[in-house]
Order: sequence, then structure tokens, then C-alpha cells
Amino acid sequence: MGADDKWAYRDSGPVVRPYALTGGRTEPTGGEILDLIAVIVASGQPAGADDPIDLSPEQRKILSLSRRPITVADAASDTALPLGVVRVLVADLVLQGRLTIRPRRPVGEQPSTDLLQEVLHGLRAL
Amino acid sequence: MGSAPSDGAADRPLAVFKILVAGGFGAGKTTFVGAVSEVRPLRTEEALTSASVGLDDLNGVDAKTTTTVAMDFGRITIASHLMLYLFGTPGQERFWFMWDELAYGALGAVVLADTRRLGDCFPSVDYFEKRQLPFIVAINCFDGAPHYDPADVRIALDLDPHTPAVLCDARQPSSAKLILITLIEHILASRPAGTSGPWPAPATTPA
Repeated sequence: MGADDKWAYRDSGPVVRPYALTGGRTEPTGGEILDLIAVIVASGQPAGADDPIDLSPEQRKILSLSRRPITVADAASDTALPLGVVRVLVADLVLQGRLTIRPRRPVGEQPSTDLLQEVLHGLRAL
Repeated sequence: MGSAPSDGAADRPLAVFKILVAGGFGAGKTTFVGAVSEVRPLRTEEALTSASVGLDDLNGVDAKTTTTVAMDFGRITIASHLMLYLFGTPGQERFWFMWDELAYGALGAVVLADTRRLGDCFPSVDYFEKRQLPFIVAINCFDGAPHYDPADVRIALDLDPHTPAVLCDARQPSSAKLILITLIEHILASRPAGTSGPWPAPATTPA
């Protein structure tokens, strides 16, 4: 299944329904919708803990990708899974204690001027 | 810090920023994201919620409960701990329900304007004004399109006096980069003057 499934007919949809991977659930358990750039990171599990038999290949892939902190959007892109599916899988992994969501600044609170200046300098240097 | 190498960046927590790229269909969103960032494939399989039913023409597709949306998504790595993420907003009416989610926690937005169809960017301008999300209007200079002075475009769009409107060529990385720089400068400039705001005062010398 490529990342750019061609639909045979307008209404047929992908061959494998994406939400089959989530047992048909389209909303994350717990109900909280993760932001696109929420940063996730694998919890400090002992070595070899990333292949427990109760995990699907897709969940293992997400765990493996998030050994370093990554965003939910990157996880979806790297697994070639739809964003909604990744959100459900991530929420399950969080509930199982295998993934942690990095706290991010509250929505009303702006990033520091320092950090934005750093972004500005970085952009100019590109 | 200036242009000093960001040594010790590995010790710093990952800071990620979201910038939206909006505008009417064909205004150059995909081109812009591709010119300035590392494009990443991203799709979403959205459930057709009751919010989209009524907006979406479901005639003849009664059994369809999800819809695939390919998203414009790009990443700019400023430093190993500093990433900018660009998301194109879906242009079609039926995906309006995705905007709130996209705008959640966003730093700001670029509204791409095509002078041949200026009206197409009204909804984006309205949306960001209502949300009080800092944005700039980038007038994409298409070949053969009538050339307007940004000042005229400002009037046509009834922009707030402080909202920048600048010309760009979304195909050119340098031009697209300049748009992002203008946006960040605008965000910094719209902050309350002095150090009384909730943000820490800059420790570095402003450029």
C-alpha cells in the first residue's frame, strides 16, 4: 500500500480501510485530540521492550520512531498512516505507559522572544 | 547568540512551531510549502462528522463515512532542537472543520493571495482576524497576472493597518523564506512594547 493510494473509483476508498488498524475507532481513547505538532517520546522501557507481542507492527513502528522526541505529524508521515489513525494508536500507547506526550506551552501563552529571535536568525541563515 | 553555532543544542528540549499557509484554491500553497521547506507526505482520513454533513455534498455517496485529505505539510529544521512546521489549510468548504484543529496553538499564518481571484482569500483573512492569530498577506506574483501595488491589495482586503501585505514569488525559495521572516518579524513587532509583557525580555541583540 503506497502512501498515495489511487482510488479505483471515486467512492471506493483505499483497499484497506485505514481505521481497521484501530479496531474501527476514529477517536482516541480518552477523547483528547492530539495537536499535529504535539511531541511524543517513548517512555524509558528496558531494551527489547519495543517488540512486545501485544503490539501491532504499526504501533511498534511508532514506538521505534519516538525513541527520539518527534511530532505526531512526523510520526504519521514516517509511517505513511493517516493522521487520525496515528492519533488513536498514539493515545493507546500513552495509556499503556509506553509513550509520553511532552507538555507544551499553553495555547494562550506565547513563546519567548528569545526563542523567536533564534527562529528569525535561523531563517535568515538558511 | 546571533550566528554563533548552536552548540549544546542536544541538551535543549525540542521546540516546535506551527505556521499555517492559507489562501484560495490554486493560490500557491503547495508551491510555497515546497519552496521553503522539506515536504513530507501527510494524509488524514477524516470521519465525516455531523459538522461536515450539510457542507459536504453526500448525494450518491451515502455509505461514505470517511474522506481522505492529502495535506500540505513541510518541515524546516532551524537547529536540532528548533523546528518550524508548515501546514497548508484545506481550501474546500467541506474541510472547514479542520481549520480549528490546524490553528490550535499556531504561531501565525501566511495568507497567499492571487490578484486574479483576490476574493478567494477573504475567508482566510476573516478567520485569522477573528482568531486574533498574527498573519501576513503574501501576494503571489503569477506570470501574466495583473500587477497590483500591495497598498491597493491592502485596501481591497480591508486589512488592519498593522497587518503586512507583501509581494512574493511562491516558487522561489528565497522569496518564500522572506515571507516567513516577515511573518516572524510581524509577530515580534505585535508584542506589547517594553518588558512588561508576559514574555521574557530578549537577551540577545535584535537584528
